[in-house]
Amino acid sequence: MTVDAAELDLLAETLRKTMATHTGSALDTALRELGWAEMLTEMTDETVPVVFRLLGETGAHAPLVNDVVLHASGLPTGTTVPLPYAGGTWVLWDRADGAKTSAGSEALDGELPLQRVADGNPVPLAEGRRALGWWLAGTGRAMLSLARSHAVDRVQFGRPLASFQAVRHRLAETLVAIEGAEATLRAAEDDLGCLLAKAAAGQAALTAARHCQQVLGGIGFTAEHDLHRHVRRAYVLDGLLGSASELTREAGALLLRQGSAPRLTQL
Amino acid sequence: MNVAEFRAGLTAWLDENDLRPGPEHSLDAHVEQLSRVRRALYEAGWMRYGWPASVGGLGGPAVLRAVLGEEVATRGLAEPGIYSMIEVLTPTMISYARPELAAEMVPLLLGGREQWCQGFSEPGSGSDLASLSTRAEQRGDEWVVTGQKVWTSLAQYASRCVLLTRTAPGHAGITAFFVDMDSPGITVRPLRTMHGVDEFAEVFFDEVVVPGERMLGRPGDGWQLAMDLLPHERSACFWHRVAHLYTRLDRLLEETSARDEDAVGAAYLALHTVRCRSHATQRRLAEGARLGPETSVDKVLLATAEQRLFDTARDLLPGVVELDDTPWRTEFLYSRAATIYGGTAEIQRNIIARRLLDLGKE
Repeated sequence: MTVDAAELDLLAETLRKTMATHTGSALDTALRELGWAEMLTEMTDETVPVVFRLLGETGAHAPLVNDVVLHASGLPTGTTVPLPYAGGTWVLWDRADGAKTSAGSEALDGELPLQRVADGNPVPLAEGRRALGWWLAGTGRAMLSLARSHAVDRVQFGRPLASFQAVRHRLAETLVAIEGAEATLRAAEDDLGCLLAKAAAGQAALTAARHCQQVLGGIGFTAEHDLHRHVRRAYVLDGLLGSASELTREAGALLLRQGSAPRLTQL
Repeated sequence: MNVAEFRAGLTAWLDENDLRPGPEHSLDAHVEQLSRVRRALYEAGWMRYGWPASVGGLGGPAVLRAVLGEEVATRGLAEPGIYSMIEVLTPTMISYARPELAAEMVPLLLGGREQWCQGFSEPGSGSDLASLSTRAEQRGDEWVVTGQKVWTSLAQYASRCVLLTRTAPGHAGITAFFVDMDSPGITVRPLRTMHGVDEFAEVFFDEVVVPGERMLGRPGDGWQLAMDLLPHERSACFWHRVAHLYTRLDRLLEETSARDEDAVGAAYLALHTVRCRSHATQRRLAEGARLGPETSVDKVLLATAEQRLFDTARDLLPGVVELDDTPWRTEFLYSRAATIYGGTAEIQRNIIARRLLDLGKE
């Protein structure tokens, strides 16, 4: 089954509206009603990027990475599976909200029902990494959008922050990182491509977090501004299925082993 | 001819026809090798694909030129920076020269008979190119040019120059000419560079007479001509450069005994990222998109990747840049210029901030 650009735009519009009003298990249910299972099984290359990017842009969340990994494993979706996390650890992303274990092990992003588990079985990683990469890119865009609005609206020394070159260059650097990551995500086909794309996207989200937090100054450090939600999400998602620094190291190890650099994208 | 046919035919031909350079590393040798490669590829037809018949080309999509340049860079046949100059000079001639002039001149460039240069920057006009002050005054059918250009690549080898001059105030007062470098009144003085390859020069114009028919476009078109270059520079040229940088990463992997997975991975990730971005840009161009300020993203990614790669090489081949006279030293030093030439990193970020992020004026 194929889907054309106009249909994808329509889908994105619907998803964006749904994500504006639903999150967590409610969004999980709403997406199932919108045909998430079919999107995943029948047009995964077209729809998964849109769904995950919009999770990032809207700040909503849903336990969909389970489904991406389950589908890639050839298993039925709609349940959970232990997922590798940074440092050789494992986590479970619950489908119910607020599944928290004992105090102290709650995720940095308290909205996510994510908890440590003792271990898990190896799972396919490429598809989940690509999906999470899109989520991270979307989160980066959300932070950039907040910082951009602030820079344009906020006046100091009698002029908008956006008129100061130091501020402009931080935001420019953020856009470069995000657009670079998106290029790797669009090109990601095989295991190495997905690994690199997740690394680029994690790095882009961390770059966005650093620069946007700085541009937002004091207000961005308060809980009443939305920025902190995206910053927390970026850190937590970066570690899931391998952090940017781990994946970069893994790519380096591969190159050193084989003695040459794979050219993944051809004209 | 499609990409797969072209690549297959080209690689088979290159396997049969050895165009690899000799051991000599001087700039003279590089330029001579460049002429040799262009001449051979032109005579065999490969250099003519992707260019229109009106300038001696054989047609086909522009992406064939990127494939050719990638193969040239990957095989190390010609120095990629000077090889890629055809990608900006030829489209300029096609778009702005009189058709007869373009038809006469372009085959000389593509066929390796001549080198050309671009007289853009001046001592007083680097990042602020539009402030250039080299004067052109009309005298009957002719124009008389007086002023100075600087950082003009290959000027000392060039037979012709695409020259930007001032004919009136402001952006709309910049006019371009196609000037013969042997015209009386032109003096070229090569500049010593930090990396030891004197590839650019100062060019002095003292009442140089240029026929009116050598104007590129009309009076005042010069700024648009300069802007129109960017998409060309940032499509095929960048693809060539990325291909070249992959060969240097491969060489680093061969030569290093350090097992620094983080550093190698980071250098590779940066290269992979610009390769993916450049690939997407090529595809947009092929689909007929008009490239614009978004190519500043490509430029920042490329310069960053290049410097990271050579920083990594310096780290993982300790002492090689500092103590041994090898190409690593020259290339490491040249990589320092990657954030300066073709629009500095700061100018690129200004463009991104203004045009892509819509942050308003500084």
